Amino acid sequence: MNVTDEDLVARSRVGDLDSFNQLILRWERPIYALAYRVIGREEDARDVCQETFLRAFRALPGFKGQAKFSSWLYRIALNLCRDWIRRQRRTPTVQLPDGVDPSELAAEQGPVESIEDLVSRRELSAVVEEAMALLPDEQRTAIVLKEYHGMTFQEIADLQGVPLSTVKTRLYQGLSVLRRHLERNGRTPQLVKRV
Amino acid sequence: MSQTFQCGDNTALVSYLYDECEPSERAAIDAHVALCAACVAELAALRSARLQLASWTPPEAELSFQIVRPRPATIAWGAPSQVEGQASGPGSRHAEAQLKPEAFIGPAVWWRRSFPAWAQAAAACLIFAAGLALGVAGGSVGGSVPAASQAVATTAAAPAAGPAAVSNTELVDLERRLRAEMAQLRTATVPPGAAAPPGISEAQLLARVRTLIEESEQRQQRELALRTAQVVRDFDSQRNLDLAQIQRSFGQIEGLTGAEVREQRQMLNYLMRVSEQR
Repeated sequence: MNVTDEDLVARSRVGDLDSFNQLILRWERPIYALAYRVIGREEDARDVCQETFLRAFRALPGFKGQAKFSSWLYRIALNLCRDWIRRQRRTPTVQLPDGVDPSELAAEQGPVESIEDLVSRRELSAVVEEAMALLPDEQRTAIVLKEYHGMTFQEIADLQGVPLSTVKTRLYQGLSVLRRHLERNGRTPQLVKRV
Repeated sequence: MSQTFQCGDNTALVSYLYDECEPSERAAIDAHVALCAACVAELAALRSARLQLASWTPPEAELSFQIVRPRPATIAWGAPSQVEGQASGPGSRHAEAQLKPEAFIGPAVWWRRSFPAWAQAAAACLIFAAGLALGVAGGSVGGSVPAASQAVATTAAAPAAGPAAVSNTELVDLERRLRAEMAQLRTATVPPGAAAPPGISEAQLLARVRTLIEESEQRQQRELALRTAQVVRDFDSQRNLDLAQIQRSFGQIEGLTGAEVREQRQMLNYLMRVSEQR
């Protein structure tokens, strides 16, 4: 039987650690992905992910189920990401450039994808990541929540604390910047079937 | 209710793009894009950008965080996996560094329990005896032990040597004296600024510790950033020096090679001249 988040939360609230650990298992990947895409650094994303669950665990007695557990987690994670971004602005650290090593790439992937495809996909991924880094935090977060976490406009508006129209504007502006950046980097628009 | 769509209404286009609009709004946009080439192009470009976004995947990370309970007799600040409420995970960079008080569900309760009087007296005796032993040891290293200290040490050591010889009254006297001395020590050794106010609550204390830890973390981050920058600068300057050195070496080698070629040509010319003369 599939246990819902709400059941697990209820059990965790009475001290069942295993239930909370099940919640972590369910949500750690999405939260890590969110943190990585918002802040762009693997190790920091992992720290944010860990801190998110730690804070959620400590705040569990105060969580009365007004919102979905996942929305609550996302909110905590986004707040932590926002704090991280603020800290980075105050004390910028030097980042060493990441090199792409084809042999390393080949080693980490199975035989399904050819090296050429893999390198090409990695390059596109790097260009997209670079373009995303150019966006203001609010636009980037809106795009991440919409594109990678499938949230509705209303859910994003609730999480970001802004009106629905602002979310749409952020998405439009963000996508437009991305499109221009991708075109400048030789990423021609792909043929898309009209809906 | 039928709606109309104004060309250039980007928020409506976004709703249409993500298929999150009312059926009437959708019908209006459908009707418009059937006629407007600019809007068709705009939509195609936005869809293309969305498609390319799908290629961006975060790197694989080993997560597996868990909240773990402490084992009963092993509560220790240095063992994160044993601390109640501590998230642990193999990929956790700061797992050991993050032993903050807020990592606990709540404060540990064993130390808040009241202990029986005999246990308190025994603990006081033990602490006092240990303190005296240290004092005696320290004194002997220093070369002189005050006579008073020796006398007290003897008195304190006496119960351990012969417990049958000590009466209840003596024990009560000893306890009273110990309490008085401990109170004196406490007032004498704690500087007035460093002592927590008697009315300070546990939450305030925790908040203060958190603030201190946060400040310390910020300091460490700043230092780390500075050191990283320094390392990068050193690395660059060293690389430039090495490159210059390599260039100089190449120049010397080229110079040497040129001189050898000149000498060989001269030798050849000389040999040719000599052979022509013969």
